[in-house]
Amino acid sequence: MIPVIETQRLVLRGPEPEDYPDFKATFSSYRSRFMGGPLNKYEAWMLYAAEIGHWNIRGYGMWMIHDRDSDKTLGMAGGWSPAGWPERELAWIIWPGEAGKGYALEATHAARDFFYTQQGWDGAVSYIDPKNLDSIRLAERLGAKKDHEAATIDGNDAVYRHPSPARLRDGQLADGIALEINHYCDPLFKPKGFPVD
Amino acid sequence: MTPMIPIIQTKDLILRGYLESDFDAVAAFCKSPRSKFVGGPHDRWTCWRAFLAGVGHWTLRGFGMWIVEHRETGRVAGRVGMILNDGWQEPELGWHMYDGFEGRGYAHQSVKAARDYAARHQGLDRVISYIHAQNVRSVRLAHRLGAAFERDVTLLGHPCQIYRHPSALPTQISNGVTT
Repeated sequence: MIPVIETQRLVLRGPEPEDYPDFKATFSSYRSRFMGGPLNKYEAWMLYAAEIGHWNIRGYGMWMIHDRDSDKTLGMAGGWSPAGWPERELAWIIWPGEAGKGYALEATHAARDFFYTQQGWDGAVSYIDPKNLDSIRLAERLGAKKDHEAATIDGNDAVYRHPSPARLRDGQLADGIALEINHYCDPLFKPKGFPVD
Repeated sequence: MTPMIPIIQTKDLILRGYLESDFDAVAAFCKSPRSKFVGGPHDRWTCWRAFLAGVGHWTLRGFGMWIVEHRETGRVAGRVGMILNDGWQEPELGWHMYDGFEGRGYAHQSVKAARDYAARHQGLDRVISYIHAQNVRSVRLAHRLGAAFERDVTLLGHPCQIYRHPSALPTQISNGVTT
């Protein structure tokens, strides 16, 4: 029912019951501070169930990101659109122990491409806490630009507008993203001690 | 894109899955003081989360709460069904009745239908209901449904009471006839 997306290193599948402990671990932690967390177990459960319900009600939603080889979960990425939000959002979260490997870039790039080519989206935004520098950096690497005019959710978030389907098809931007993903797949240097939270 | 949520028809009501158009009714309840015994009132985002989670629960557990539609008007009268959220000791038979649909036997009708269904098709019999001690109307409904007070507990850090329902499975009678 929920489409499966495969990329070089990842498989994106719908959130499944057995993935809940991994989701709960991250959303109970400081890592989730820019996503409304940390959450207690009841809130984490309700949010996880809501991630699944979002697919049913909207026809799109957040995928669980799996490592292609080991199948372990790495985080989530996809579309998100609560009632009353100004625009459809592209969102992502990577488990703290898996950050710094380009998974969010690879997964979100693939999810955005799916929405643009399979579901007819003509654009998307990401609502990002101005203190969430890692996510702002990722939005920019995905070609999104800060939109000062766009409506925010509650005034505490910055709106990053993603490039249109036409601009992504145009080449240079998509080539740059592909190049960066390729580098993550086959890095020249393998830094140790990456993520900090 | 709806999980397999069965439809149950009763005299005045239809228990069914979720439509986006149900959200306003769910949110109206969730934002109002009527929800004070089920964790509310909540802001709009939390109502939305609860609405979506109502759908997702079916995927996670294979059972959940139905939307109760009032046949005559087509309006959403409430939600009833089985709940097993993280932190729950066992599956709970829960009910939310919306403004304007109380006092007409609809809660009894829909909860009984849900309880019967859970016992026959979901392997959930002699289930509990968590009820706040001051929620007089729900306590009364529990009694009318044949449930009995079992013990005081805390749920999500709040004191509440467990009521235990009787078996909702058809009883075997000595001559082999099933009722």
